[in-house]
Amino acid sequence: MDERSYYTIDPEGKLKCLKCGVPLEKGKAKFLYLDNGFPVELPVCPKCGFVYVPESLALGKVLSVEKALEDK
Amino acid sequence: MKSRIPERGSTHVYNVSKISKEEIDSMVERCVYEQPPFCNAACPLRLDTRALLKAVAAGNFKKALQLYEKIAPFPLILSQGCEAPCEAKCRLCERGDGIAIRAIESAVARFGEQSKLGGVFRSTKKQKAAIFGSGLFALFLAGELEKKMYPVTVFCAEPDEEMYLRGAAPFLDDAAFTLELKRLKRKEIRFVFGCEITAEFFRQKREEYQILGASEAAAKTFFPVAECTPDVMLYEKENLIMGSGSGVMDTAFGAKKAALTADRLAQNLDPRNTRGREGAVESKLYTDLSQAEALTRVPIPPEGYSRDQAMEEARRCLQCRCEECLKTCAYLRHYGKHPGLLAREIYNNTQIIMGDHQLNKPMNSCALCGQCTAVCPNGMDMARVCHMARENMVATDKMALAPHEFALLDMLFSNEEAFLSRPQPGFETCRYVFFPGCQASAVAPETVRAAWEDLSTRLEGGVALMLGCCGAIADWAGRREIYDHTKAFLDAELSKLGDPIVIAGCPTCAKQLRSRESLEVIGIWDILLQLGLPVGAKGLDRPAALHDACGARGDSVTQNAIRSLAKQLGCDLKEPKDALDRAPCCGYGGLAGYANPEVAAELTEQCIERGEGPWITYCMACRDRFARAGQETHHLLELVYGKDAQDAPDISEKRRNRRALKRDLLLEYWNEETKGMEPEFKITYTLEAREMMDQRMILTEDVENVLRAMRKTGEAVLDGESGLIIARARLGNTTFWVGFTEEGADAYIVHRAYSHRMQVVRRQG
Repeated sequence: MDERSYYTIDPEGKLKCLKCGVPLEKGKAKFLYLDNGFPVELPVCPKCGFVYVPESLALGKVLSVEKALEDK
Repeated sequence: MKSRIPERGSTHVYNVSKISKEEIDSMVERCVYEQPPFCNAACPLRLDTRALLKAVAAGNFKKALQLYEKIAPFPLILSQGCEAPCEAKCRLCERGDGIAIRAIESAVARFGEQSKLGGVFRSTKKQKAAIFGSGLFALFLAGELEKKMYPVTVFCAEPDEEMYLRGAAPFLDDAAFTLELKRLKRKEIRFVFGCEITAEFFRQKREEYQILGASEAAAKTFFPVAECTPDVMLYEKENLIMGSGSGVMDTAFGAKKAALTADRLAQNLDPRNTRGREGAVESKLYTDLSQAEALTRVPIPPEGYSRDQAMEEARRCLQCRCEECLKTCAYLRHYGKHPGLLAREIYNNTQIIMGDHQLNKPMNSCALCGQCTAVCPNGMDMARVCHMARENMVATDKMALAPHEFALLDMLFSNEEAFLSRPQPGFETCRYVFFPGCQASAVAPETVRAAWEDLSTRLEGGVALMLGCCGAIADWAGRREIYDHTKAFLDAELSKLGDPIVIAGCPTCAKQLRSRESLEVIGIWDILLQLGLPVGAKGLDRPAALHDACGARGDSVTQNAIRSLAKQLGCDLKEPKDALDRAPCCGYGGLAGYANPEVAAELTEQCIERGEGPWITYCMACRDRFARAGQETHHLLELVYGKDAQDAPDISEKRRNRRALKRDLLLEYWNEETKGMEPEFKITYTLEAREMMDQRMILTEDVENVLRAMRKTGEAVLDGESGLIIARARLGNTTFWVGFTEEGADAYIVHRAYSHRMQVVRRQG
């Protein structure tokens, strides 16, 4: 069964993998921190699998979840 | 890149207690914030006098009366007859007239608008009470039981309420009598007048009532041998509540105890048990009398205070509350809690095995500077509480690395890549070693160089140089293991130098290094006083404020030496508010700035607000934080050696300064070359990127490592919207992202940088 994704970002063709020269697509990824895992959907290169975390996500949702887990 | 310090896991089900409950209890007890004000402590009825006076001062007589009626069913009787032990205990008595509490209470009883009796949920109790006889105790008891919603019947010989009241309180003046009679008639007390109070009468009636009370005279009529047990106001053989009193206050107190006994009896419970604390207590509260101004009592006219007079008198109340530490510590004010409460909460935080540790941030935000202990009349020590809590959290593997990792890595940098320990050229071992401290090399490397050159020229026996961190950072972070490792490392290095006398350039280093018994540690300020100032040393040409370092708290020798040295320099020193042991922390102490930049900024702001710059400090961390806050600030050694480190360096420059100082000195004095660390490509940063990196704790070497990784793997993303190429690398426990543009083949302009600690991986399926 498919895991539920906590967060989804669709690159909408605006991002390109520099190594493979192909657009990034919405793909399955996972955040891991302090033995916890969160399935998400992020811009991923369909060829090499590079997962992109945009600045707004890193400093927003990711940071707040980090802080919450640090206090667990 | 492997992490240098392991991150903690998320399963911590074991518990190591570095603080015992008894220990925390004894620490919390030192905080007297919750101690009652002296007036309230002296009152056996425990009137909340402080709140009453506050309400009166604000003109809120209704609220004041509500407070007064909590302890007095007949407020005028009490206020006119009370012996008022509270007045003698008023702290203002020590400076002038104490507050005329009783006269204010009387005004409250006269002018207070009575609140409507009862409430939606107040319902009469089932057990009925009978009170036999008359007098003040019987009247007060009736009032108390009525307040507790018992249906009360009073059997008395008097013909009416007027005579009953007159007999109970003959001292009331006419106006008060009229008001109190009205109040009595409004109460839901049933009177049976004209009774013959005999033993036979009592026997007839007692079966109808569950609670029986009597005046002392009536009780003796019923049972000639009746004796009252004063703790519970009971003739225990017959479960008859009885009593009298030696004065109005004592009688009111007796009636209060008796009413509690009634409650216990009504529930078939032993009246002696679980009564709580009754009566007057001793208070350990501290009151700062230095601000007491209005010392003369508003004269009391024969008819008592008017509303305005009562308000004026109540406004003289100091509202005794010990807030000495809250007045001086921005950290405690930030959390808005007195240390007794905060310490208890922080201790509880360490005891949580599963669940949220909501006090992690507060415990990590304390500057551990010891100011609270210096200003507290009882020596409450928040630094000890927070430090022990941090050590406890680390020991139980519950402390996340995030708040302290940057500082700990910086310490490792100081003691590895930037570490230098060499005897003075021409010596194998030395009589002295100069230990300037990590922040001095980071902020003012030229001053460090000049100081060492001066000391090694003017002192006999050789002066070695040791550039590194004393271990304070690991100590503050509660990382015992890293601290012990650092200590052993420094000890070994000192031993190689021939165990020299340490000349510390930083008061915190001096304090840390002094904890070793085997080591002799002196401050550079002491040496300079002995040697005299070097040529060219010059103070400021205008008055300057001296900021004391928390590393020198409790160390008057250092504090005085600094002042003497500044005077020799020709400085015109101004002592700011809260100097010496009372000085606040700049915000660097305890790693507050890493764990909570907001609190650290408030601490810095509080330091600066105490006086007018320019500032002179003797700790480089203070100098750095003051300068960052836009203050003209000079470290005393900058003045001694005529070097000005100018603007505060950013976090990357601080590393570069330490690296360069080591490289240059090694080459110049020991003829040793250091391998270059410059990247094989060119990087420039936009101003925005530099500011962003400083604020987000991202070093230029992190950016270099990301670009190096990108050049190797070719992995990066092109953002069509911004036109930036974005690359990333996992360095230790953090993933760094860098947004840049290319300027030809081997040159990059960095526009953005950010990071996160979570790891991100691709997911299958």
